[in-house]
Amino acid sequence: MSGSTLKLFSLVKTGPNLIRPLSAIVQKRYASKGEYYIISKDHSSMDMNDITDRAAQTIFWTELVRGFGVTLAHIFKEPATINYPFEKGPLSPRFRGEHALRRYPSGEERCIACKLCEAICPAQAITIEAEERADGSRRTTRYDIDMTKCIYCGFCQEACPVDAIVEGPNFEYSTETHEELLYNKEKLLNNGDKWESEIAANIHADHLYR
Amino acid sequence: MKQHGGIRAGLYKLYRMDDLKPGVQVGEDKYGNKYFENNRYFYGRNRWVEYAPKYGVDYDGSQVPAEWFGWLHYKSDLPPMKDPSRPKHKWIADHQENPSGTKDQYMPYSTTRPKIEPWIPPKSN
Repeated sequence: MSGSTLKLFSLVKTGPNLIRPLSAIVQKRYASKGEYYIISKDHSSMDMNDITDRAAQTIFWTELVRGFGVTLAHIFKEPATINYPFEKGPLSPRFRGEHALRRYPSGEERCIACKLCEAICPAQAITIEAEERADGSRRTTRYDIDMTKCIYCGFCQEACPVDAIVEGPNFEYSTETHEELLYNKEKLLNNGDKWESEIAANIHADHLYR
Repeated sequence: MKQHGGIRAGLYKLYRMDDLKPGVQVGEDKYGNKYFENNRYFYGRNRWVEYAPKYGVDYDGSQVPAEWFGWLHYKSDLPPMKDPSRPKHKWIADHQENPSGTKDQYMPYSTTRPKIEPWIPPKSN
């Protein structure tokens, strides 16, 4: 048994060294064509002693014991997972989440019903109807997005000439029914009002690339 | 344990948050959620939110308001009160958690006049 532990020890010591000759060999292979090298591990020795050691390792399940050792060690390590919803993962300012319709600082809605987003939408999730408002400006009367059709490609916010439709940062809007995801203009404007702080910060973070 | 307010409060917090982490409070939003940071934890675990006590165990990820969203998601290192790029328009609405499944849930409705108006028969006589 003492032989087997010694062998284990020597295996651990030679572990990293196994890699180094391999790269040396690969480099050498390009130097001289026509020769071949055995890059697999050396055949293990067939001495009676070594055979007995290997058999002992198999019989006494040393791999299993070492495996349990790894498991035990991980109990005491810092977990690699995050504790959502208290901790949250990193997000990009360009993250494309829930849609929102923005307003100008004066509170006037931005959307002018040019329908570029409706035209570019590859999933045809957007429906727009426009009418002249009482003060003569062109505005939408209907701005519906079927969030279950949307593929979150972000083409709508790229097409928008006035930064009205944006894909906001919010991704925590899962619903219990399908119909709650059929957003209309009111809901999108509400989203914009709630998330404007974060949407504006995202646009500001990206202002050098726009 | 002392930071978490004694043994009882600490145990409650452990029950509620599955974790007891020491950290520096960076700020608090107007809904009562507190935000902590401790850079001895690795990136991704070093910022966390402690939801307001009024939520009890009904906390939800969508209770983080937009102002703190960027800081908590590592988009910005500036907490909202130090970030100059955040506008403060008076029309910005209060944050609302995801209302799905409650009576406040959003139900779609048409924002236009109906295309077809029903014919109302003229009253004779």
